[in-house]
Amino acid sequence: MFAAHAQLRPSYDVVIIGAGGHGLASAYYLARDHGIRNIAVLDKGYLGGGNTGRNTTIIRSNYLTAEGVKFYDESVRLWKDLAQDFDLNLFYSTRGHFTLAHTDAAMRTMRWRAEVNKHFGVQSEAIDAQAVADALPMMDLSCGGRAPVLGALYHAPGAIARHDAVAWGYGRGADRRGVEIHQQTAVRSIELEDRGSGPSVVGVVTDRGRISTRKVLCAVAGATPQLLAMVGLKSPIYVHPLQAMVSEPLKPWLDPIIVSGSLHVYVSQTARGELVMGASLDPYELHSTRSTFDFAESLSMHMLEMFPFLSDVKIVRQWAGLADMTPDFAPIMGTTPVRGFYLDSGWGTWGFKATPVCGKTMSYTVASDANHPLIEGFGLDRFRRYALTGEKGAAAVGH
Amino acid sequence: MKLMTCPVNGPRLISEFVYAGELRPAPDPATSDDDTWADYVFNRSGVAGIKHEWWCHSPSGVWFIAERDTATDVIMRTFLYRAPGAAE
Amino acid sequence: MMRLPPIAGEWIDRAVPLTFSFEGHEVPGFRGDTISSALAAGGVRVVGRSFKYHRPRGLVSFANHDVNAMMQVEAGGRSIPNVRADVTPVEPGWRITAVNTRGGVANDRLAWLDRLARFLPVGFYYKAFHGKRLFPHWERMFRALTGLGRVDTTAPLRATAKRYDFCDVLVIGAGPSGLSAALAAAEGGADVLLVDENGAAGGSALYARGGATQPTAAVAALIGSVAAEARVRTLLGGCAAGYYADHWVPVVTGEAIVKVRARAVVLAQGASEQPAVFRGNDLPGVMLASAAQRLIYRYAVAPARRIAVLAANAEGYAAALDAQSHGIDVAAVLDLRSTVGPRTQVYRERLLQNGVRVLNCVRPVEAIGGAGGCVARLEFTAPSGLESVNIDGLWMSVGFAPLTGLLHQAGGTVRYDSGAEQFVLDSLPAGTYGCGKLTGAYTLAECIEDGREAGRAAAAELGNSGRREAGRRPAGAECSNHAFPVFRHPKGKEFIDFDEDLQIRDVENACQEGFDSSELLKRFSTMGMGPSQGKHSNLNALRVLARVRGESLEQHSLTTSRPMFHPVPMSHLAGRGFVPERRTPIDREHAVRGAVWMPAGNWRRPEYYARDGHTRAQAIAAEVGAVRGAVGLIDVGTLGKVEAFGPHAGEFLDRLYTGRFSNLKVGMTRYGLMVDETGVVIDDGVIARLGAECFYFTTTTGNSATLFREFGRLATWWGMPVGLVNLTGHFAAFNLAGPASRAVLAALTDLDLSDAAFPYLAAREAHVAGIACRLMRVGFVGELGYEIHVPAEFGVELWRVILQAGQSSGIRPFGVEAQRMLRLEKGHLIVGQDTDGVTNALEVDAAWAVKMDKPYFIGQRSLATLAQRPLRQTLVGFRLAAGGAQRPRESNLIIDGGRIAGRVTSIGVSPTLGHLIGLALVDPAVAAAGKLSLRVDSGAQITAEVVPTPFYDPLGEAQRRKEGA
Repeated sequence: MFAAHAQLRPSYDVVIIGAGGHGLASAYYLARDHGIRNIAVLDKGYLGGGNTGRNTTIIRSNYLTAEGVKFYDESVRLWKDLAQDFDLNLFYSTRGHFTLAHTDAAMRTMRWRAEVNKHFGVQSEAIDAQAVADALPMMDLSCGGRAPVLGALYHAPGAIARHDAVAWGYGRGADRRGVEIHQQTAVRSIELEDRGSGPSVVGVVTDRGRISTRKVLCAVAGATPQLLAMVGLKSPIYVHPLQAMVSEPLKPWLDPIIVSGSLHVYVSQTARGELVMGASLDPYELHSTRSTFDFAESLSMHMLEMFPFLSDVKIVRQWAGLADMTPDFAPIMGTTPVRGFYLDSGWGTWGFKATPVCGKTMSYTVASDANHPLIEGFGLDRFRRYALTGEKGAAAVGH
Repeated sequence: MKLMTCPVNGPRLISEFVYAGELRPAPDPATSDDDTWADYVFNRSGVAGIKHEWWCHSPSGVWFIAERDTATDVIMRTFLYRAPGAAE
Repeated sequence: MMRLPPIAGEWIDRAVPLTFSFEGHEVPGFRGDTISSALAAGGVRVVGRSFKYHRPRGLVSFANHDVNAMMQVEAGGRSIPNVRADVTPVEPGWRITAVNTRGGVANDRLAWLDRLARFLPVGFYYKAFHGKRLFPHWERMFRALTGLGRVDTTAPLRATAKRYDFCDVLVIGAGPSGLSAALAAAEGGADVLLVDENGAAGGSALYARGGATQPTAAVAALIGSVAAEARVRTLLGGCAAGYYADHWVPVVTGEAIVKVRARAVVLAQGASEQPAVFRGNDLPGVMLASAAQRLIYRYAVAPARRIAVLAANAEGYAAALDAQSHGIDVAAVLDLRSTVGPRTQVYRERLLQNGVRVLNCVRPVEAIGGAGGCVARLEFTAPSGLESVNIDGLWMSVGFAPLTGLLHQAGGTVRYDSGAEQFVLDSLPAGTYGCGKLTGAYTLAECIEDGREAGRAAAAELGNSGRREAGRRPAGAECSNHAFPVFRHPKGKEFIDFDEDLQIRDVENACQEGFDSSELLKRFSTMGMGPSQGKHSNLNALRVLARVRGESLEQHSLTTSRPMFHPVPMSHLAGRGFVPERRTPIDREHAVRGAVWMPAGNWRRPEYYARDGHTRAQAIAAEVGAVRGAVGLIDVGTLGKVEAFGPHAGEFLDRLYTGRFSNLKVGMTRYGLMVDETGVVIDDGVIARLGAECFYFTTTTGNSATLFREFGRLATWWGMPVGLVNLTGHFAAFNLAGPASRAVLAALTDLDLSDAAFPYLAAREAHVAGIACRLMRVGFVGELGYEIHVPAEFGVELWRVILQAGQSSGIRPFGVEAQRMLRLEKGHLIVGQDTDGVTNALEVDAAWAVKMDKPYFIGQRSLATLAQRPLRQTLVGFRLAAGGAQRPRESNLIIDGGRIAGRVTSIGVSPTLGHLIGLALVDPAVAAAGKLSLRVDSGAQITAEVVPTPFYDPLGEAQRRKEGA
């Protein structure tokens, strides 16, 4: 599926740092759509070993802002054709997505999201408690009496996919088009020059040697701040772990994806029958993927509030990824003040679903040295301009 | 569960503590230009490393500084803000 | 029946026989039997079907390390999925079925999948059925086939309690090395907790006996010494599920979780025996030698009548002797090795004396099934050529993999030791120690010595000091692990991972496709991702991987081993749960008056009071009407209530809020708006100055705890000596509002309530009905009104007294919904409803509350920047005729030229004004045009008129109402 390359070439047209879904997708579309094939994708670990392989694989486009909805909806559209593009089964499975509301404030937010979604032709609707009960008859709508469900945002296109396969599909597609994927290759520094018009990229130093290049795409999730420091840029990104856990395989009983912000739960059942579950972000900065027991304890408690009949179901494994968070819960993408240094970052807890559209828009941005129209709202300089995206609106309203 | 030592109450479970970000000097708002101020307001030192951070022992309301390695989660020491002898 | 005569130390109680059913057949057993042991005793050899190919499977590890023995148990009205038969004690009357069959273990209708195995190579699922049209169909079929046990969605919640334990030294594993470590640590003065997942201490020494009738005397002595040592507490039947920060180890028992905090931990978990990989190695009857030994010595079960032992170590020869001494015919010991070491030699001579055939240089070719698919014959090559032996049991003893998961989680590392042919301890974090098989110690003497050293060090250092050098295997000792017990067959079916039905060629193919590191292999092939989490498969997979790549194992690492060690039920993890809900002192009064509750932060508040014959809307309108026309009373006790005092208190509030409070007169109140450092509105409240150096103020309900904490941080950071007291729970608070409020209050207090003595926005301390109160004349709902704060213990009394006093005036308690409408009529915003996470103070028409000329307040500098830029949105009031069918709702959008120009944040039919009024956050240019096009739920657009606020009483005359007016 992938060729191993014994050595790095002395120079590449583009160096992509990070062989996760986003980096590989960008390489794939650069090679396929923009004719740029002299590309190295570098990863300090293994292909798809970061958040691509650690997320809970939810795909949706029910965002709150115009820029968010349009961007993720394009992603969902791309997702649907991806398996055929790759000739690889991604297990892209449309399951429907319920975001439960337990307070009237949350219900207002659901209605707001639904209204914005509908405006852009995205299937979302705010439904009442009875509709939730009809769709999820097995659920305890009182949530153990602690947080009765008042309604939900129902997003029919919500889907899950086999996360690793996405990286493999893009990786294989890029590999076949001549892109070199170099795993176990860590970036030590990025070389810049400044001929009076500001800094620009001239090379990348790795633990396997130096590469000349004029274009570097940074797609490294939790390591973004380290990479930014190499080119002297600052950002609002802060890194917290996001944990998840999985149950033993069970016969299918849960078709849709369920999210409860109040109970800090999201859950879906995989094609293998496992329940994949996550909660909210860990509460403090940490660049380590260690697990905590209190995570498994509190997530189980909230799971049982919703699904008390899972008492005897066992948790097999827990794990964590590193989320690079931004102040407005939207990504930071595009060109930067360093010429030839492109950012695909700030993906927080929602990067997986954006994989195809990130590849599309970042490949365009790198190839043409200009931001793709879909990512114009996501630039690094929006903070300096106090022009934050409104995506934070949703999070701040719901007590 | 991880332990943290409150300078007043001693070692306690980390779940008793609330994190409030890195201790950072604020520029003078009166003399800062817009970019300097926006940099302070939004940007963070996101690189992993040893940092001085604000933490609160929530049950007692004690605020203090923890010196912690954000790569490993090792807490080097904790001390009251501007406590005598506690160099920052 | 395969039950043996009584064996000394057996775990079953023959005095208590029981029966249960398996796949519809009655099976006998004894108390103490696990499901697996009773099935084995009953001669049941096929206990399940494999995950992918539905091949018949029997017991393999008998140690909870394989998927074969997972059951659906119907018991006591519950149906429990994925019960681990190897370790679950069976109860009388249980009805048990294997989880992964269609139509039962014996005649699984999905067995045809096995014949397709050739066409289902690794990664098959990724390569097929992904046509956009076909996948949904195929997926439905696939989903129906997958999964193991069934969930009974009507099962009730099972809550378990959690326990906590604390010790100096936690020893995990009560085999010889763990026992020795526990004893040594106790002798070193430490308080020791010794845990083992098994029901008895002794570990493999109890069952790996080499034919002896009793375990070695040294082990018995060790067990006795530990039992007699007062400083050692032993917890058996408890599995250490994970190793978390600061030596925090949850120990999972059948009933509950014991969370253990240790100062040091000794890892003495031993190893899991590994299978040999050859064609047919998954046939029922082919099992690990240690599994067979456990069946014999713990449960007095002979797993077979005639066996061969496939051996590559002394342990296999010992197992053959254990078989012989229990009447099991040993057809042959088939040693993979060409030469044997001194440990093996001792057993070998005894076996030869007993007439057992012992061969060296053996390569297994194929295990062949007979009746019921169970093993009947083994074909193998020996130096003399191809041979076969007829058997009904094949025991594999080719090596072990030490359990390294907890070590990894603790932060320790292992390295591959090619002398020991296993991963051994390489480095340890402070406070963690390892001994026994983890260090390469296999003999009893080595383990006891190794454990003693680890225990001593743990007690001496108690987590305070340095690392202990690891790896203590004596050079030249006979190795217990075969380097490559993997034997390819042209027709495949040599299983590496029994959970996932993965064969040698699956690993080879994955490598060839580029998934050539352990982590990639795991993800592509799902190797080690099944219920056993790779305990029997990771090492062999890595061996194949390394060989394919022409590398040594030293160049490879194990995949990250994550918690849980064994799966843990969610009931145990969840515990009983603890979610505090706060109630105001008046809570019961609301309940008796028919309050319909709503959550507010972690409080509950009356949304409105239900009235017979009234709809919700009518009830709310009546409450609004009472306040506008007479008098109403609302419990506002959930508000955050803070006292700030000291000479700097005013200046402190000046820095917190956008307004100025240092110049507030004693006895007066002022509205306060709070923004964050980016200028975004985060809270509001009323600040009263009760004295020259004493302020009393409120925050919103949901933010009160967070804000109070933050006030403390800011005071610390700013170096301002301000006293801050959180009185949120200490005070009850009501708002008495309406034209008659003065009269009601006057009947209860001597305080001069005249407008001159107690004007609008004034604050007073006085007695009401004999209770000392803080009174603030405020106007949130737009009527003459008094906020009354009293110590919580007097809340109920005062509430009742006021309602009593107001009876003749038509007083009525009102809830949150009525208050929302009353404030909407006044155009007052609610933070979090009429603002969101990016709404700044300039956008909500609050310039009057923002004093940019102060020296400093949080967010001031950002607002100065924002003031230079055009507003992105602004909060405006609008009105519509009521009665239209297309009534807009909160969150409906405002559309301008086909784009989103804003949204409705609050809306309702004003009972006072008789038409729809609302607030909207909207593009200032659109607002300036005076008309808003609202898109209602149906999709239709209706036009609203932008109007100034307040909607009601724009001059504020009602709240300033003088006495007699």
